[in-house]
Order: sequence, then structure tokens, then C-alpha cells
Amino acid sequence: MTRSAWGHAVSLDDINGKVAIVGIGETEYTKVSGRSVTEIGAKAAERAIEDAGLQPTDIDGLAYSGAFPGFGVPEFHDHFGTSHDMWTTPWGGGMAWAGTVPYVAARAIANREASYILNVFGVAWASERAQMTGGPGEVHATQTAKQNLEVPFGWFPQPVYFATIMRRYMHEHSTSREEFGALAVTLREHANLTPGSVFHAKSLTMQQYLDAPMLADPLCLYDSCPISDGGGAFIVTSAERARDLKQAPVIVLGVGEGYSATGTNWSQQREFTKTPQIFSSPGAFAMAGLGPSDVDVLCCYDPFTVVSLMQIEDMRFCEPGEAGQLALQGHLRFDSGRLPYNTHGGLLSHAYVLGIAHCIELVKQLRGSASAQVEDCRVGVYGGYTGHMASTLVLGTDR
Amino acid sequence: MAITRETFPLPDVSNPFLAPFFDGAAKGELLITRCRLCDVLVWYPEESCPTCSNDLEWVQVSGRATLFSWAVVRRPFLPAFEDMVPFVTALVALDEDPHVRLCSFIVDVDPEPLSIDSPVEVVFRPLQFATVPGQFVIVPMFKPAEM
Ligand SMILES: [Zn+2]
Repeated sequence: MTRSAWGHAVSLDDINGKVAIVGIGETEYTKVSGRSVTEIGAKAAERAIEDAGLQPTDIDGLAYSGAFPGFGVPEFHDHFGTSHDMWTTPWGGGMAWAGTVPYVAARAIANREASYILNVFGVAWASERAQMTGGPGEVHATQTAKQNLEVPFGWFPQPVYFATIMRRYMHEHSTSREEFGALAVTLREHANLTPGSVFHAKSLTMQQYLDAPMLADPLCLYDSCPISDGGGAFIVTSAERARDLKQAPVIVLGVGEGYSATGTNWSQQREFTKTPQIFSSPGAFAMAGLGPSDVDVLCCYDPFTVVSLMQIEDMRFCEPGEAGQLALQGHLRFDSGRLPYNTHGGLLSHAYVLGIAHCIELVKQLRGSASAQVEDCRVGVYGGYTGHMASTLVLGTDR
Repeated sequence: MAITRETFPLPDVSNPFLAPFFDGAAKGELLITRCRLCDVLVWYPEESCPTCSNDLEWVQVSGRATLFSWAVVRRPFLPAFEDMVPFVTALVALDEDPHVRLCSFIVDVDPEPLSIDSPVEVVFRPLQFATVPGQFVIVPMFKPAEM
């Protein structure tokens, strides 16, 4: 374990080439839908199993989000009318755990605890928030330090944290609003190309970005992702079994995991304009035997524009402060040949389903079936980031 | 998971973990936790020093700080903030140890002339919300330092 003043990487065993993603399933992505997380999870699971050409009884492992549960083994059996034994772990779902769950699955598969592991994640914050419960802020407001030393002082919720981070970032790197705007516009263009994204039919121009209302100055409406309902699932199995299945396997080449020492207390994070992706990504690239220049498509957890810029820099795709210029020069577009980024539209413009759709998009890109398809796409990377934790997942085509 | 405390979002001054901070503010003192052994400020308060596990104590600091960063909140994210927007919420870095950042309002100034890393100083003001009628808590806020 390497430690530094403000965070650390977790040391992981080499699982390069051991497991593959063989099935993906997505639900409809919507604003308020009235669907429950359980219904969303069931639909995603059903579609992933069908995509893989498997039967529900083949699935003998289930990974879900311990932080945001809703579709576990009982719900699986209830939905599919099955009753077989299943290995299960709460260290799955979306967010940063969407990036580390292939590692957890690889360990379980190596230990013969399961053969086909379904990772499911659903979120219904749009519907729940309409009923004045749930949502990303509530989780934070219940923590003692935040509830008493941040919330009373108006430093709440996430848009305010990231407005403050964004202002400091803009100061350190002389970043213009146009650089953030270029990122937002690029992701909207990707969503416009991607049927099923919440903003598929809604365009966004730089002028609209610049004229948009401020939520918490300097963070405007289009710097912030909307709340949505939806979910997805993917199936992990051994690389050998994967080669006998219906879909071209997407091989897991590397996984990394890193933590910020101050957790989700962003206010106290020593390196205020960086993410623990700094600790997570080197191990994942080392495991894969690849570097940032080998990556054909990158999908990062992007609740706010500044979070994209920081992660792109922290993963060493460019120097600190340069990611905004990549966006402004069009290098993040799917057809740029440079660093195609969040080619489905990301949390900002596709749907706020907390990273599961990012991983599914990477699988589509590597199968050659994405809507905004990157040419000759062989290596894809997911950057997960939930504040206290970052993950890096390197995926590749079967070589 | 929902917060049921009726005085929310006023701070819970009865929380033993944080009470000294608010008791200090009521007396016009800015108190922060410090490790008895390492002699370094530890913020937020913890059960013990994260470095050496020794006890923490509350110590008074000068109230001089620099403006690390801020946001001008224009959308009220809680009902309590509805009649307060726009307001400036900031992180200020204490002169004694700039790694300690306090979260508070910047008062007595328009947001326009604020600049990053400029000096600020503490003032103690009552914090009250229209949604919690008849109650207030004295808290540290910050204003641009007089040169
Ligand atoms: Zn100590």
C-alpha cells in the first residue's frame, strides 16, 4: 500500500485477462417515472441475461450496491421465479464500485464461488425526490460534521461543494467558462447521437451554456447533472467461458482502487482540486500493461464538469489544468481520434445513473455497437469517483 | 435516514462532540481541536488524533484566515435558505494552519470584489432561519480583514 499525505492506493492482485464482461442490460432512462429501484434492477438484469444468451438459473452470483440496495438475491428469485444458491456481494452496483466489481467477481470466480456474476444497479432519485425523500444530498446531511459544521453555513449540497472546487480550480489554472462549456456541449452532442439518453432530443450550444442560470456561482445549470431514474447490469464470467458465449467478450485488463484520506469531507481534502483517481489509475494501467496513450475511449463519472476535467488530468491524459483545452479544441469528441470521452453523454447529458451506463457504453464501444462509435476501438477505461473513493477499470477487446 | 431534528439546519449545539465549538462562539472565541501530543490542529473533530490516537483538546485560534474559495449560492437547496439567497458560503484557511478550512458565510461584502487567498477575519453573529422560528445559534462568520 502506497500512502501519501492525502490518500492511498489499494494494492490488488493481477487479474489481467482472467475475466470478461459477456452481457449488458439497460432500462429506459427517464426523469420522474414512478418506477422503484427493484423494478429497475429486475429489468436491467433480465436484459443483461438475455444479451449474454444465458438463463436466470445460470446466474450464480449477484453483486449489488450496499450503499443503495434494492435488487438483491431475494428480489432476483422473486422476479425470475428461481430458488438456486447464489453467491452475493454488496461491493457492486454503480459509482466507483462499478469499476471494482469486476475485481471482486474475478476473485469469486477464481475461488469457484460463482461462475456467472450479475452486477446490477438502479436508481430512482428522480421519483424519490418528487416525494421529498432520497437524493444525493440526504446521505451527506446525516453525517455529524457536515450536518453541524457545513450545512448550517450553506455549504451544501454537492453543487455547492463543486462550485467551490471549480472556483479554486479556475483560479489555479486560469480556466475559462468556455472550457467547461465545451465539455458540456460535447457531452450533449454525444447524448444527441445516443437514443435512450434523457437529453437525446435536446441540443445545447455554447451560448446557452454561457447564458444559463447559476446554481452556485461559478457553477451553472449545465455544469451539473440532472437527477434521473434508470439502471443497468452487466455479467462477469471467466475469459474461457466467455469465448463460448453469444457476444464478443470484453476482457478486464486492469483494475485500480484509491481513497482520499478525508473521505467525503471535500472541505478538508488537502489537494482540493484533485481526485483520488491519482491513486487509483496507476495500478490499473500497470496491471493492464498499458498507459493513457493506449486508450481509445474514456468514460468518467461526471456529476459536474469540473469532476471530468480533474479526473482526466489525474489519470495523466494531460497535465493539470489542461483538460479544459482538450475539450475546447474538440479532442474529447467521439470522432476526434484523440481522447473520445463519455461517448454516450455521461451523467451530464445521458442519465444520472451513477456510472453503470458508463461501463455499459464502454462494452458497446469495444463490441463496435455504440451509437457514437469510436473507430477501431480496442481499449476503454472507466474512471469511477464517489468522493471518498476512485476506481479505474481498463477493458479491452479479446486479442 | 431523513433528518428529524426540528432545529435543522441550525447546528445541534447539544451534540457533545461539537458543543465546545458553539459554546466558544457564544463567548466570542473561535475554538478548534488540537492533538495534545502532536500539537497539530485536527479538523473536523474526531474521537482521537488520526496520527497518534491521543486525546484532542479544544484550543482558541486567532480568527485570522484567508479566503480559500467560495460559491455564491443562488438556488436555495434547502427550504431554510429560500429567503437568504444569494449568499456567499466559503472555505477559509486558518492562519495558524491553512490545512484547516472552516466553512462559513462571508458577510459585510458584495461577492464581486472578493479574491482568492485574500485575508479575512472572524465575526460572531447569530445564525437564524425562517424555518426555525424564534431560535438562533451564535456562529463564526468571516468578513474581509481590515488592512
Ligand atoms: Zn497526535
